[in-house]
Amino acid sequence: MRRVTAALVLATMLAAPPTARAADETIAAFSKNQVDPHFEGLRIGVDQAAAALGATVRHYVPTRPNNIAEATSQLEDVVAAHPAAALFMAVDARAQLPGVQRLIASGVPVVNYNDRAGDAPFVSYVGQDDFALGKAIALHLFDHLGGRGGVVILEGVRGSTTGDDRRRGFEAAARERPGIRILASQPANFQRLPALQAMENIMQRYPRIDGVIAAADAMALGAVEALAAAGRANVPVVSINGVPEAVEAVRDGRILAIAEFNGFRIGCVAANLAIRHLRGENVPREVLLPGAIITRANMAEWLVPFAQRRCPPPIPAT
Amino acid sequence: MNALPARIGALLLLALALSLATEGFATATNLLNVLRQASLLFLVASGLTLVIIGGGLDLSVAANLTLSACTAALAFKATGSVAAAVATALGCGLAVGLLNGLLVAVVRVPAFLATYGTLWIASGAAYWLMAGRVVYGFPPALRGLGTGFVLGVPTPVWIMLAVAVAGGAFLFLSAAGREVFFTGANEEAARLSGIPVRRRRILVYGLSGLMCGVAALVYLGRVNAAEAGLGDPLLLPAVAAVLIGGTSLFGGAGGLAGTLVGALILTTVTNGLNLLDVGAAWHPFVTGTIILAALGADALLARRGA
Repeated sequence: MRRVTAALVLATMLAAPPTARAADETIAAFSKNQVDPHFEGLRIGVDQAAAALGATVRHYVPTRPNNIAEATSQLEDVVAAHPAAALFMAVDARAQLPGVQRLIASGVPVVNYNDRAGDAPFVSYVGQDDFALGKAIALHLFDHLGGRGGVVILEGVRGSTTGDDRRRGFEAAARERPGIRILASQPANFQRLPALQAMENIMQRYPRIDGVIAAADAMALGAVEALAAAGRANVPVVSINGVPEAVEAVRDGRILAIAEFNGFRIGCVAANLAIRHLRGENVPREVLLPGAIITRANMAEWLVPFAQRRCPPPIPAT
Repeated sequence: MNALPARIGALLLLALALSLATEGFATATNLLNVLRQASLLFLVASGLTLVIIGGGLDLSVAANLTLSACTAALAFKATGSVAAAVATALGCGLAVGLLNGLLVAVVRVPAFLATYGTLWIASGAAYWLMAGRVVYGFPPALRGLGTGFVLGVPTPVWIMLAVAVAGGAFLFLSAAGREVFFTGANEEAARLSGIPVRRRRILVYGLSGLMCGVAALVYLGRVNAAEAGLGDPLLLPAVAAVLIGGTSLFGGAGGLAGTLVGALILTTVTNGLNLLDVGAAWHPFVTGTIILAALGADALLARRGA
């Protein structure tokens, strides 16, 4: 049996001309949901980078957004399917660590991307520094406020690395600007309606709010609606991500600035590194992509639809 | 049935505690704010209340809200007409509701499974239609349903009150409403006494779906955007609002006033957590404790009374 398999593998390898080696290179790419445009951009980036190198991609996305049980069973499916390589992000890093460790142990090289999935022998990590993004965008707001004022924070999901690191970044920035007071820091689960309602509630207690920091665009957009409905549209709101809808809000002056968390680029770089690793190149162990501050002055670049964007040039081998 | 006064008591106690604990709570604007926030949850839970009283269950409400809001948003973007958006939301909500009704009453699929199936179909349809996009930006006529005020009271609160009154009148004053109670209490007996059980079933599921369509319009008005996951945070709170309000999961007993109180308790808890700036890590724990305390107080009172 094993001999038959080996013969088949050999036959396919011989049959395929060297340039079309990619025919067996199916990459399994995980993402957390089908609703957040950030992940839509990421999947388009993965597809584009893989297509450029002639590899195929199979996406694994829970049908219920961020559903841990479904994401975990998809991880098991991928262990069974045994793809050439995988791009992995966890919906819940702790719950999925054993699964991804099994996947790596089964001989599939795995690149961890988007956010850190815990301690496993990944080929490489591709992401952005959430702490730095949080700190940079908070400082941008604080400096806009002249270093003084009362600010509200809308957090993501407590316990998610993305949410926690961003919040630590906001708090670190506040420590550097003693004139800034954090009035309230409340969770809104990275979602629009919870952010809108949290903002409505916090406004009840604080007749004056000088600025709002949201840990992601969807929450910033919810907060913007709440502020506008209360006649406080002049309160500056900052955010992290840079999905097209939020960049339009920057253009229209409804959001002051966004720290770029670029799913498209993360997808591009992660897929590129995974495929080059498969082809025997030494790729960097960690790539932290820088994030720009998107303001009215420079926002045009982020209004381009994901499908029309081009992947950045490949990161050099090590 | 007699849980209602105790639940109102629990709500008042919660409100009293919050008015002492934070200056922002007991103000007219905050109370209107809580009512406005509760309205969306109440609208989704209102039709569900009728279904549960009638001995059924509707797990598809949040997914139906999502699909109705997404189709309405797309209809508006395609036609530029608010009337088209309203008709689409109500039509989509009603259609999913009637599908549930037919599955349960005619095909005789158990309610849990039938509506679990339509939950997936409605969410799947929303994912397919939206394909990862967000549709946003609606005109004042539609926004007004979520953000407007009439006589100083938010429009969604008026819609909530109108639904509560009309639903209450249906349940307690109309023959069809009483038949829903009978059907839920004992389906066999209801059938033997000549109640058109099948038609009543289809009616309550249809109304539940229709209310999801109404909620979808309020959602679009308030949030100004539609995406395929928008209703997900509402399913369990909607079921909880119905049951906290004293409607029996086994059918035959309950009412919309209870569901209103249930929605207000859940909304007030979050409002209080935000006002007191309770740390994110504590939110789930505190929410659970307060819900259990509200229910436990009732159980204790009932035992002492007996």
